[in-house]
Amino acid sequence: MRRLDENQVDPEIVAALDAIDATVAGDPVEPRFAELAELALLLTGERPSPDPAFAPRLDERVSRRFERAGGADDHPAPARAHEGWGWLAAAGGLAAALVGVLVAVVVFSGPPSGSSSATSASASSATTASSSGAPRSAASSGAPARAATSRAFGTGLSTANGAKAAIPPTGGSGQPAAAANLQPAPNGRKITQSAQLSLSAAPNRVDDVAQEVFAVVGAQNGIVERSEVTQTGGTDGYAYFQLSVPSATLEQTLAKLSALSYSHVSSRTDTTQDVTSQYIDATQQLANARALRTSLLKQLANAVTTEQVDSLQAQIHDADASISSDQATLQTLGHQISFSALSVTINAVAIPPVVSHSGGFTIGKGAHDAGRVLMVAAGVALIVLAALVPVGLLVALAWWVGSALRRRRREQALDLA
Amino acid sequence: MDSMPARNEGVIATLRAPATAAAPTSWERFEALYRSSRDDVFAYVATLLRDRAAAEDVTELAFERAYRRRRTFDRRRGEERAWLFGIARNAALDELRRRRRLTALTVEPENKASQATAGAEEEEVALRRTAVRSALAKLPAREREIVALKFHAGLSNAELARVLGVSESNAGTLLYRTMEKLRKACDETA
Repeated sequence: MRRLDENQVDPEIVAALDAIDATVAGDPVEPRFAELAELALLLTGERPSPDPAFAPRLDERVSRRFERAGGADDHPAPARAHEGWGWLAAAGGLAAALVGVLVAVVVFSGPPSGSSSATSASASSATTASSSGAPRSAASSGAPARAATSRAFGTGLSTANGAKAAIPPTGGSGQPAAAANLQPAPNGRKITQSAQLSLSAAPNRVDDVAQEVFAVVGAQNGIVERSEVTQTGGTDGYAYFQLSVPSATLEQTLAKLSALSYSHVSSRTDTTQDVTSQYIDATQQLANARALRTSLLKQLANAVTTEQVDSLQAQIHDADASISSDQATLQTLGHQISFSALSVTINAVAIPPVVSHSGGFTIGKGAHDAGRVLMVAAGVALIVLAALVPVGLLVALAWWVGSALRRRRREQALDLA
Repeated sequence: MDSMPARNEGVIATLRAPATAAAPTSWERFEALYRSSRDDVFAYVATLLRDRAAAEDVTELAFERAYRRRRTFDRRRGEERAWLFGIARNAALDELRRRRRLTALTVEPENKASQATAGAEEEEVALRRTAVRSALAKLPAREREIVALKFHAGLSNAELARVLGVSESNAGTLLYRTMEKLRKACDETA
């Protein structure tokens, strides 16, 4: 329907409309509008009147305030056909509220269980198992010699190189609940192992923990290669130990060091490396050098000229040097295999004072608690709002589209009529 | 009350005053609107639908809807009559949608009566009345609705514009054009 501006209305039309209004109101009009006035009167006379029985029936319904005690059958058919929009809007609102509640429940139900274990790990302790090479199963089946086993303690989950794995919650002193199985099963492979253990202790307990470390290492037939203990009497304190412990007892040593009385484990890193290939190479080179030396000695016995003797003696000297070098390499590898390098650090950590919740009520505490409650409530309200606003916008959009469609269909029905 | 001292009359008047001056409740406003508009709504709907039975149902439905929505009425958006006729219009159009058929205007008993009494009227007036009735029946529904709102429901041009959802000038122009169309149709018939 085209809208006309107020200024575009013809004055003649305005005068004719005024004449119509005057006629309807019973006032006289100008003679030039007599025909229009007569038409208006005739149209007014065509006004349909309700049936005499209709008015009392409707009056009664109105006086009873349209109560539906008689059931739906008393209601006119068109009413039933179009009263569903209110219920639809209510259902939409209810659905929006349900979605909001669901989102709020999901948000406030906390992170999944996997996250909680990670949190406990960071709060208590963590183990990093690093390795290089292929897994042990591959090594045992003739895989490349530089193979190792990577293993996460406590959880039994294998991790990639450098990845941190969670340790189950520890006891009062923060020690791992289960002993770590560091050493691979003996299968003829040559494995070197090392570990770094970081302990935390109260500043005044650093020296006590250091003494415990010495005691454990001695009991396990280990060697303290280097140590450094610093206790200032204040909040500082530090100790460092470079240890060499028999590989056979490394697991037990680590378990005991993790269970010291006045400390708890901050972190632990275990490293293993398969040196079978290096060991075999060194052994082979030693055997070759010895065979060469034997051969040279035989040649020396049969030598005739001075030049031959001198040359063979020089070669035998070189073979001796090679044999010594290979023996040293083998000895070093053997020591690395038999003894594992273990470094232990003790860091002083200030223990936070215990907050007593049994104290009396104060205005400050009350204000603090009130502030916390208000912040939490505001957060909850913000999250719920964030969830409900998009849903509400969708519902409003659906309502608007529905209204526009309904309006258009009504106008179409009028045009079709 | 005759025995009451004269000095109490002022107090009694004061106590009675708020009750009489109290604003009408939503039910009272609705009831007044119903009393003043019942026949107008029926006349409008009957002209639009050209079906008396359906007009009665739609009129009843319109008042029921108005009653249930009476608290949502906002006076700033127009007068109550325009609001009521908007509800009635929607109900009538819903009925048109539902039925999707145009019922021929039934010949009403009172029309027969008026025809019977037409003999007593002057012949020219009777002819013009017949011509108007015929022209009105041939009008499209949209224009017939304008006639119904203006002459059968008695709405002002502003109320008519409010019901139709157009500007007042546009409503006036539409009414004028419809009247011109009717006038020409009547002249042709005559």
